[in-house]
Amino acid sequence: MLLDLIPHIINGLALGLLFALLALGFMLIIGVMEVINLAHGSLFALGAYVALAMMAPDGGLPFAFMEPYYALPAVPRYLIALVVGPLVVGLVGMGLELCLRRTYGSDPLYGLLLTFGAALVLEETIREIWGSSEYALPIPRGISGGFIAGDLIWSTYRIYAAVFAAGLIGVLWLFLNKTPYGAVIKAGAHDSEMVRALGYNLTRLRLLVFGFGAALAGIAGIVMAPIWGIRPVVGVDAVIPAFVIIVLGGVGSFWGAVSAGIMVGLVVALTAAFLTDWSLLSMYLLLLAVVTFRSRGLAGKSSVLEA
Amino acid sequence: MDYDIKQTTAWVTGPILLSLVLFGTMPFWIEAVGLYQYLGVEVLIWVIFALGFNLLLGYTGLPSFGHGAFLGIGAYAFGLAQFEVWPNLWFCLAASVVVTALFGAVTALFLSHRRGIYFALMSIAFGQIFYFIASKWTDVTHGEDGLLNIQRLPVELGFAQLSIRDNAELYYLCFAIYAVLVIVLWRLTNSPFGRLLRAIKQNETRVAFVGYPVTLYKWAVFTLSCAIAGLAGGLFAMAQEGAYINVMSLQWSGIVVLMVLIGGGFVSFWGPVLGVALYFVARDVLGAYTDTWLLWFGLMFVVLVMFKPQGLAGIWQDLSRRRAAERPGRTASAGMEG
Repeated sequence: MLLDLIPHIINGLALGLLFALLALGFMLIIGVMEVINLAHGSLFALGAYVALAMMAPDGGLPFAFMEPYYALPAVPRYLIALVVGPLVVGLVGMGLELCLRRTYGSDPLYGLLLTFGAALVLEETIREIWGSSEYALPIPRGISGGFIAGDLIWSTYRIYAAVFAAGLIGVLWLFLNKTPYGAVIKAGAHDSEMVRALGYNLTRLRLLVFGFGAALAGIAGIVMAPIWGIRPVVGVDAVIPAFVIIVLGGVGSFWGAVSAGIMVGLVVALTAAFLTDWSLLSMYLLLLAVVTFRSRGLAGKSSVLEA
Repeated sequence: MDYDIKQTTAWVTGPILLSLVLFGTMPFWIEAVGLYQYLGVEVLIWVIFALGFNLLLGYTGLPSFGHGAFLGIGAYAFGLAQFEVWPNLWFCLAASVVVTALFGAVTALFLSHRRGIYFALMSIAFGQIFYFIASKWTDVTHGEDGLLNIQRLPVELGFAQLSIRDNAELYYLCFAIYAVLVIVLWRLTNSPFGRLLRAIKQNETRVAFVGYPVTLYKWAVFTLSCAIAGLAGGLFAMAQEGAYINVMSLQWSGIVVLMVLIGGGFVSFWGPVLGVALYFVARDVLGAYTDTWLLWFGLMFVVLVMFKPQGLAGIWQDLSRRRAAERPGRTASAGMEG
């Protein structure tokens, strides 16, 4: 019985780690910009679509100069997609930050509304370019399919996704905690005025952090695409768990977000195994249960968001 | 940038009269300008909903992002009351209001001690919970199919019975409700209660220190706002002749916020009215030219938030202030009051 649960737990871990990756990008933006980026889900979707354009000729853009590119084998194309996707999404994110600049210093609600509008625009743009139908992201043979071990069927891709996300989270942690750039970002989240007073270019910092957070959303979108499929509304499905995770984990806590991500992933995957219809509801019930008793989430500190 | 600081004791003001005249005569001219009667019904219902919502968003500064759920609950309550209990218009509308207010009151217990972004996040969570329950509890709500064949019940006046099967007839029921509601809400927002809501928006902590039970006020305004949403939901169920789940989704809850903001709900009582009218007219006019009208509407919204976050009402206030400045000797409070 317990053994039967293991594949679901792996699913949950993969899902949870990807959610955590998405949520960390979201949190970086909240920290430095003090903006709830409602377009985060659309950036996630955009990442998946850009990867699609890099992988599949039929789901791609009809540019003639892309022909020789599609002749490449799948593995290098996948690696290129993993680089180009986050880059494009990061640039779009930077563009969004340029628009957001006008709302700094006024009611934080305006920033939130601007990103809501941006999410609408991004989703409609995706619909315009790729249509409303659902796509599947082709992946190299090495990470697709499944294998049998100990009488159980394992999905190779989910294990790959979990390892990939865990690795990236580790790199992100090292970046934030062991490099001077990370120190500036963390300081910016703590007190951005002081960072400016110390002579750092806050304007550029915000631009780069927004781009970086968006790129994380984009890469999460690419890795999630084979699991969820690609469709324009996938953004809403993604931004909601990111929200839940941030509230659950507490704003401003790296490991709070990671553990909340894994928790949400496990809860969703385990409920999906037994009560398919109710799998997403369980996430909200978890949120309510935690936040009713710990209003700042598991590890949250007091932050600007409560004002 | 805020509402007019001075409150008024007037029951009926110029803008109220103007809105009553405009909406009251709408069935006579709406077809002449190339639109249709049902659009008027939709606009009025959403105006009722948005005016109630703006008590929360604009006046109290509580960013609720799950309010569409309460519109949906009102619609389901209307349908169920009609099918299961007593198909009488007043009874069913009362059921919509009471049931939705009850749902709102329970939700508000969890929300009323929160503020800012945490309030927004929790309201999203509740909206989504209601959405999922409505989509999965198919015995009651019929899930994605919706609750079909809801009747437009005749208006019982004791001495007479008026049919509202026709869109123009239903419109006048909505108009009557709007007329009462707009005056009640105008008085409410210009009462000591309304002043306190605005104080909570400006500085909640200070209001609490002065000695007011802030949580209770926030609970009350949330419940009231939900009751109005329920009323709009009941009317919406009749207009659509069914209760459907789509209005309960996060997207629609967001669009309500968008309508209120684009109209200028933050700076004017009339913001929601302008915003709803603009949204529906844009949907029909832009929608006639392009399938991607939402893209253009979204772009317009982004530009507005960037350059004029006070919305249409804010633009109007600027214009009238400039006009007043050009005519010395007159005060600068002309135009859209409140």
